Amino acid sequence: MQPINKMRTEFSSKSVNEGFARVVVASFVAQTDPTIDILADIRTAVSEAVTNAIIHGYDEKEGIITMECLLYADHVKITIEDFGKGIEDIEKAKTPLYTSRPELERSGMGFTVMETFMDSLTVESVPGKGTKIHMTKQLEYR
Amino acid sequence: MVREITKLITNGESEVKQMDVRFKKDGITLIVSIEGEIDHHTSRLMKERIDSKFIMEPVKNMIIDLSRVTFMDSAGVGLIMGRMKRVSSVGGKLSIRHPKPEIIKILKMSNVDNLISIEA
Repeated sequence: MQPINKMRTEFSSKSVNEGFARVVVASFVAQTDPTIDILADIRTAVSEAVTNAIIHGYDEKEGIITMECLLYADHVKITIEDFGKGIEDIEKAKTPLYTSRPELERSGMGFTVMETFMDSLTVESVPGKGTKIHMTKQLEYR
Repeated sequence: MVREITKLITNGESEVKQMDVRFKKDGITLIVSIEGEIDHHTSRLMKERIDSKFIMEPVKNMIIDLSRVTFMDSAGVGLIMGRMKRVSSVGGKLSIRHPKPEIIKILKMSNVDNLISIEA
């Protein structure tokens, strides 16, 4: 199945770009006129994935994050990628409330939010090379 | 639809305002009104402002008013839980006021609604 539209953007791993990523993905998905709830879920999940890339992928140092979206008639596929340090143990990282950075007052809920707010979540990671987070969301229309 | 998306993105104002924090005192309660979006980027500054105000004022309890918060991810949950620890450490109580429906969703998902009183 071919997407009806697609986009790819890359941006610096600065925390101010968390809001930028949310705006971009919302603007892109909005062309299909989904419900506000669907847009809110997607924004939140993307915010979590980008934040993970910034804090854990790059330890808040300089790096590049990419976001790719493939828009289909009834769903959207979103991939967030970083080229940072990668995840040694993906299952441990996905454990609710686990955080490797407790000093940052992190709730450890990032992956749980992504899993709850999106319809599917897949994590690919190679230690030393980076991480890709793939998410999909079924679209409901107003 | 375009107007609604603009409102979603810009919080309904002509300028994009990321975050604002205002304080009011009611007896021994500090009322913290947050406006805008709470994410990892904005929560760091909010944390510093809230904590220094809480230390400076003769208060023990805290109410966090989320009625003007248009977005919150798990960084906001961390912010709230961190403030709860701080308030509890002095024997005080923290409550949350008027979160929007999309904010209630993440509060329920993270079980905050079972730990902290939420005024609808």
